[in-house]
Parts: sequence; structure tokens; C-alpha cells
Amino acid sequence: MVSSSRLGRAAAIGGAILATLVFLFPVIYMASISFKLPRDIFTVPPRWFSELTFDNYTSYFHQARILPRMVNTVIVAAGSAIISMVAGAMAGYALTRLRMRGAGVMAGLILASRAVPPIALVVPMFLVARRLGLTDQYITVILAYVTFLVPYVVWLMRAFFRGLPKELEEAAMLDGCSRFGAFFRIIVPCSLPGLISTMIYCIILAWEELLFALILTNDRAVTIPVAIAGIAADTENGGLWGPLAAVGVLTVLPVVIFALAVQKYLVKGLADGATKG
Amino acid sequence: MSAVRTSSSRVGASGPTRGSGGPPRARKVRLGEPGTAWLFLTPAIVLLAGMLLYPIIYTVWVSFSDFDLSTFQPGDWIGLKNYEAVIHDPGFLQSLKVTGIYLVIALPVQLILGFAIAFLLNVEWRGRGVLRALFLIPMVVAPVVAGGVWRMLLDPLWGVVNYALGLVGIGPIEWIGDPTLAMVSLILIDSWRWTPFIVLVASAGIMALPSDVYEAARSDGASRWQTLRHVTLPLLVPVIAAAFVVRWLGAVKMFDIALAATKGGPGQATDVVNLYIYEKGFRGLEFGSASSMATIVLIITMIITFFLFRLSRYLENRW
Amino acid sequence: MRRYLRLAAAAAVFSLTVTACGSSGGDDAPAADGGGLGTAQNPVSIRVLANDAFAKQWQDQLVPEFNKKYPNIKVTVDGVPYNDQLAKSMLELTSPTATYDIVLGDDPWMPQLAKTGGLVDLKTDLTKFADANYDWDDINSAALAAGEWDGHQYGVPVRSNLLLMFYNRSLYKKAKVDEPTTATTWDQYFKDAAKLVQDTDGDGKTDAWAVGTYFTKDPLTPTIWQTALNSNGGKLLDENLKVQFDNETGVKALQTQVDMLKYAPPGAATYQFNEPLEAFRQGKVATMFMWGSVYKGTAIDTTTTTLKEDEVGITTLPAGSTGPGAHRGIWTAGVAKKSTHQAAAWTFLQWTTSKEGEQWVGANLGTFPARNSTLNGTPPAPWLKPVYTAISAGYDAIAKGEMWRPRLPESDAVQQILALQTSRAISGQATAQEAVHQAATDISALLKSKGYQQ
Repeated sequence: MVSSSRLGRAAAIGGAILATLVFLFPVIYMASISFKLPRDIFTVPPRWFSELTFDNYTSYFHQARILPRMVNTVIVAAGSAIISMVAGAMAGYALTRLRMRGAGVMAGLILASRAVPPIALVVPMFLVARRLGLTDQYITVILAYVTFLVPYVVWLMRAFFRGLPKELEEAAMLDGCSRFGAFFRIIVPCSLPGLISTMIYCIILAWEELLFALILTNDRAVTIPVAIAGIAADTENGGLWGPLAAVGVLTVLPVVIFALAVQKYLVKGLADGATKG
Repeated sequence: MSAVRTSSSRVGASGPTRGSGGPPRARKVRLGEPGTAWLFLTPAIVLLAGMLLYPIIYTVWVSFSDFDLSTFQPGDWIGLKNYEAVIHDPGFLQSLKVTGIYLVIALPVQLILGFAIAFLLNVEWRGRGVLRALFLIPMVVAPVVAGGVWRMLLDPLWGVVNYALGLVGIGPIEWIGDPTLAMVSLILIDSWRWTPFIVLVASAGIMALPSDVYEAARSDGASRWQTLRHVTLPLLVPVIAAAFVVRWLGAVKMFDIALAATKGGPGQATDVVNLYIYEKGFRGLEFGSASSMATIVLIITMIITFFLFRLSRYLENRW
Repeated sequence: MRRYLRLAAAAAVFSLTVTACGSSGGDDAPAADGGGLGTAQNPVSIRVLANDAFAKQWQDQLVPEFNKKYPNIKVTVDGVPYNDQLAKSMLELTSPTATYDIVLGDDPWMPQLAKTGGLVDLKTDLTKFADANYDWDDINSAALAAGEWDGHQYGVPVRSNLLLMFYNRSLYKKAKVDEPTTATTWDQYFKDAAKLVQDTDGDGKTDAWAVGTYFTKDPLTPTIWQTALNSNGGKLLDENLKVQFDNETGVKALQTQVDMLKYAPPGAATYQFNEPLEAFRQGKVATMFMWGSVYKGTAIDTTTTTLKEDEVGITTLPAGSTGPGAHRGIWTAGVAKKSTHQAAAWTFLQWTTSKEGEQWVGANLGTFPARNSTLNGTPPAPWLKPVYTAISAGYDAIAKGEMWRPRLPESDAVQQILALQTSRAISGQATAQEAVHQAATDISALLKSKGYQQ
């Protein structure tokens, strides 16, 4: 980017670190709670340190069936994100780069499909799934998530594709590529930052979705947010903020690790280098 | 798929990049391009239509009928009765108003904050990738946990925020107990949660900007502000518009964080419309009126989305 | 565009086919033997739809104990988070085929669940599978009434709970106030409350308050003033389900809860279940109106509380003109009408709620009993003694004042209206009189729209 003076650069880095800390503060607080005994969480005044315990991580790990539900969440999030990315990116590409009548209407309709309140969708979806004998299965949850992820992917990818120079795929096609070839070989690699960001967003949305997961599953396909809601809604014994914070930390970790792992693909210059030749 | 050249063909691609005020698309029209376009659209359309058509029809149908709880199916057709009841329901109208206030404040705050932070995070240094990954966390924390942690932080008795304010002689402040401040808190929590989404998209958008434009701008002696104003922002318009529209559609549907943080209270101070519908349907089991409300919200959302869509097209074409 | 229309049409046809093919779904009549109790070669399986808070506990502890006696009945317990459990249970009960043989419901849900027609009358429909030793009469009538609706017994109490008053003896002593008893009236309580807001360490700042309980916008919040209403002889609805609280007694009851806020800690207006509990466990409030089930974590378990056992007292809510108060919150379990294993399902429930089963459950899972014999017997642990005493007194109050949420399928909708108006009164957006009047008007309109005479 634009080269800045050393001072400006230092200020920007300082600002970035400060902003991150501010946004992470509640999460750091959550993490600190997860290592406290329940009686030390609501002290007056608040205390950062108290008797250290790992019980919050162990006690509910079994009771709330965290491990199998984590696996379910990974399957559902990955499945829905991949399907949505393929379908959504292709549609976004068609709506940006291909000449067709009614592209605007289609784009609007796809977007509008996202305007339906979730409460209106979940009951009929459950009824259909029940008729088909598909409740409590990954595919049902995945397809439900796909319906709300696809419009987002279409819209975000549309914006990213617009930023790419048109000459890219034209050159490729002049060289004998088909549209599909041009799309998968040229366009997709060139819009990697946009694709990865959109995919991260999809995974996060699927990761934390509660309402559909709750209604469409019973046991086998139950995801982590349902487990969390279950702990949170316990009004029998109380004192569950320790385990809740611990499960909160456990759900955050995989996504952060995934995001760190894909960081290296979030590099500038693929499209850039292509145009500079 | 026909024979495909390797990606090295990219090397041959060169020419002017898409800059500001580009001419209308002058592209070679290929035979069968609309056909290809529909082919590209097919997976998305089949998925969306297959999954959504029946639920939408069902909802509209329920909204015109007397919902039969014993079969969970629409019962007798009662015409507009549900709609009449809903339109005269002061709670519903109030929740629409609350949603409006929330959207008008929260969306611009999140958009501006998100792009500002994205620019800060774009400065190249070793820790940049880690910060970007960490910035995703607020989105991942389950709403019920996030809402609860915020309630703890904001509590006047054991909350860290009021404790810190107390050290400088302010407070204690009833962040969630006071009707006005409850809305402030809700927007605060929602912005904490979703600004990272804007950061994520904006970072990708900024990263995808072609660097030669900047070089050109710099050689023209443009200041940093001028570059931002006349080069960067116009190039980012599609991404800004898309981020806004996606966030808008997410925010319209927000109810989980309100449920966890304020329960829509005190009174109806933070009772956003989707929370109101959720409680009517899922707690009160009033599926008839809940469906009418959902249909009304669907129509309002579609109308506003249409205008936003037109606006974003206008903005995209302006630059 | 034409291609798009064709696609849409195809999709529509697909969706409609999907709906159409379901309507032929089986309405199989349950087998005459109710599916039997299984044999070693052919065990039967039943499935229970429970709350997430205790589903795992049931699966891991209760079911193995049950299987010692009935090894050929395999029981699976699924848990659902509380907030969406009612809707989920309704969806399951209205299914053409039964996924679940046993459905659990919270106190106010039974009429709604029963109205689907998806539950059987345990006393009449299942006599074939009844255990001759099962003693209905021993179950406390107040508790048993939670599973009853419209003259039928749709559920048996499996987890009993009630709203009681907890108090912190140390804070009472420090304020030089006599400890509350079942005879303490609301007037006396408020006199004491003023003294219980105190500075315990003498630094000039108030650091202990009188009361913590539900104040936020929540369906459980109005139960506090509903109890005050009931203990003054008032009712929300009369026998004909007509609204009956838009009067002085109603306003006074709501005002009771609004007044409490004056003696509550800063921020108490947002209190749900967790906050008053933590404030009490931290020794910050002298009294707490809360579910009895929190007792163990409040007085006994040192990892969750800062209080000692002898510091924590438990009794009924302050008395009104007709006696002390309490409020019922009992989970009951019913058997699904479409279940093909009603015999096994009812056997499981009978065992769980039998004298023997309840003893085991009380001792091992810490659940409160519903049977008089269990309540009057020796508690499984010494610390339960004061709790059982308070529960017994509570049941009496509940039976006398009918202290429960409205018994009609619209119960939750009524409670939602009350929650909103209570929150308006507590946050100062309306006076108690305005809030009570608005709630009465809204409930009246709701019931009228459902065909009740108003």
C-alpha cells in the first residue's frame, strides 16, 4: 500500500493493537471466568485472579457432550460453507461478468430470499424434513444453512469479482479456456482474499447458528450452540457461568486456529501480479 | 469443460486496470453467454428455490388462517383477521420502531468503525495476520454467552465497566436497567459482535485493490487524504455496498443477542421485531399472528432492500 | 427469464410434492400390548424428550438404575434447551408418528401439550400397564395438579420445585432484625427490608441490600407478585377464566414487587435467574425469592457459594391476608398417544415416580420429591431437613392459594403479557395501576380472540 512515514506506521500498528485489545476484552474476561470457581466469578468488586480451577472444562465436557457435538458442528459448518461457496461464487460471477437479461432482478431476488425472518422458515422446514424422514441428519441442517449463506456469498463475491480486471478471463478465453475453465483457473485464484474472507464468514455463521440446529436436530446431529443454550437455560442449580465460559472458549478455539491457518492465503498480489504481468 | 490452459496464461493478460469512471462495458459478446450465465446460476437457484419456496408459501398461508396447534398446520381460512390484529397490536408497531432506531444507529457505526479498523490492520507488519484472526472472535462467541458476559461486565454491582468508571468517580450506571441506556448497550454489544465482519470483508477488499493505481496517484503527488478520497474509496464502493447490504440483512434479523442481553426490556425498549415475532411464535405459540408479522416484515425488508440495491448500483456506476 | 420461471415452477412442484406425500403418514393404532416390556432377545426402546439441564443426568444415572429392574427397556433421553422446548415438544407431539414416547413439560405447559391431543390420560388410558402398587394418593395434590388439565391426568411430577424465600442469617443478625418465619407478613418484611440495606464494614458505603429476585422482562418475573396476589386471596383469572386482577388487590400485588426494587442492589432491575442468585451467594442480599432447587449450590457446595450452611435459612414467601406464599414450578412427564411402546414408557415413569424411585432420585440426583411419604420421611441427607420442611409448607400454601401460573393452553402467552407490563412498571415506564390495567386489557383481548367468554 501507500508507504507511510515511520511515525504514521507505528501509530497505525499501535491503533490496530489497541482496537484488537478493546474488542477482545470481553473474550479475555470470559476466558478468565472459565478458570474460576463459580463462587469467585461474581465477586464485588470484580477480581481478575482467584483460586485457579480446570473443573469448568472437565465437568461439563462430558455432561453437555461437547466432543461429539463439536464434531457435528465442524461437519455442518464445513459442509454448508463449501456448498454455499461453490454455488454462491458461481452465481456471483454470472451476475457480475456475464451478459444476461434480468441479472439485476435475479441478484435482487437472491438477496431478497434472505429477508425472510428465520422464525418463519424453521417450522415449515422442520415439517418438510419430518415428512421426508430427514430430521436429525447433517444434510438437513447443512441445506438449511446453505439457504441463508448463499445470498451472502453471492453478494460479497459479486463485489469482489467486480474489482477484478475484465481482461483476466478474456485473455484466458482467447487462449482457449472455456468459461468454466476461466472461472476456476483464473478468477477463483485471483479473488482468493475475497473468497477466503467470505468462507470464514460462512463458517462463523454456521458455527454459531442456534434456532435451526435446535429445531431440526434431536440427538445425532446436535451442534455446539444447542449445547451452550442448554447449559445457559438451566434454572435449577445456577452457578453455571464457569462451565458456560469454558464451553465458550472451546468453541472459539477451532475457528481461530482455522483463521490463522488460512491467513497465508489472505495475501495480496495474486490479482495484482496478474495485471502487472 | 473443454481444454483448459494452465494458469500461466495469466502472464499474458495485461492492459489498463479498472479505474474510476470506467466506460460502459465494451466486451466481446460471445454466443451462448446468457446460457452459460444461467448454468452458473443453476446451483444457487435450485438450492434457494427448493429450500425456500415451500416455507414462504407455508408462512403466507398460515398468516391468512387460523393456525391449528393440534396438527401444526394452517386451519380455516380467516382472511385478513391476523393482519388486522397485528396492525392494531401496539407491541408490534413499537418493535418496528425499536428496530428502526437500532438499525439507523448500529449499521453506520459498524460500517465506519469496520473500515477504519480494516485500514489500521492493513499496515504490513508481522503481527497483522494474527490480529486479523483474533478480530474474528467476537463473531464466534455464542450469542447467549456473549450476552451473558456483557451483562456481567455492565452490571453496576460486580461489573468491570462500572468498576473502572467508579475509579474516576462516575456511576454506577444502570447500563441495562435504564430504557435509553439499554438501547445504547444493545447497539454497543451488537457492534462489538459484528464490526469484525466489516473488518473481515473490508480487509479483503482493500487487499484486492490494484497497487499500480496507488503508484500512479503517488507519482501525481497526491496526498494520503486525496488518495483515500479519490482513489481508494471509489474503488472500494462495491465492497462497501456489499458489506452494508449483507450486514443490513443480518441486522434486520437480529434477535439472539437482544434475547440474551436485555430480553427486549426494560418494557419494550430493546424489543426488536424479530425478537417480538420469536416470542409470539415460539413462546406464546401464536403462530397465526407471528406469521402475519413475519410476512409484513418480509415485505418491508424487501422494499428497503430493493432501494438499497438501487442505491448501491447507482453508487457503483457513479465512480 | 423463461428458463428461470421454469426452474421456479419445477422447484415449486417439488416442494408441494414433499408436503403432499406426508399427509398419508401412518396413523397406526398402538398395539394392544402397548409394545410390551421387552425380552432379553427383543428389548424395546423408548425415547424421552427432556430438558437439557437434566437430560444427561437422567441418561447416565437414572436410566442405569431403572435398567437394574427392567433390563429389557432401553431408554434414550434427549435434551432440549429450555427456551425452545415448548415449541419443540409441540412439533414432536403433532408428528404423524411418534419420535418420542415420553414428553416432559414445565409447569404451565401441560394444557398446551395436552391440547394437541398427543398425550394419554395416565389414570384411565394406561390401566392395562399400571403397577398395582403405584400409589396415586400419596402424591401431594398440589404437585399432582401440575400434570392435570381439563379433568384428565396427563402427567406425573418428575422434578418438583417451588419458589421459596432464602435468607442470610448473618445479615439479619448484623441488622438486628428477627429472622423471617412462615408467619412474617409482607408489611413486616418491608419494615425489615429498610434495615437490611446496610453498611456491614463501616466504611460509610452501603454494601448489603435486602432483596434479590427476578426483576427483568421475563415470564418468571411476574410469578413474584402473582404469589403476593394469591396470598392476599386474589387470582389472575376466575373459575370461568375471566380476568380478575384489574383491581386494588392486583395493583397492590404488583406494587409489592416494584417496591422491592428500592431495597435491592444497584442494577437489580436487570436481574433474571442468575444475578439474584449470585448476589445472594456473595452475601450481598439478605433475602432472595428463588427456586428451592438452588439450595444445595447456595448453602452446601463450597465451590459455588461463599455462604456456610448455618448462614442460609429457607422458608415460604411472606404472608398475605390468607397465609404464606409459594409458587409451583414442577416438571411433569406424560406418555405420547402415538407411542408404540406405551407399556414400557409408563413403566419407566411409574418406576421413576414410585415411592422407591423417588427415594432413589432424591438421594442420588438431588431432585425434590412430590410424594408426601418422601417429604415426611427421613431426608436422604441431613442438610435436606430444613428444605423438606419448607417444601411441605410451600405445598400447603400452593394448594390453598392455587399458586401457579394460569392453567390454560394460552398460559405462556398470558405470562408474556404479564412479563412485559411488569417490566414497564419496574423500570418506571408505567405505574403499577397502569401496568395492571394494560395487562388485564391485553389478556382479556387475547382470551376473547381464543373464544373464551370475557
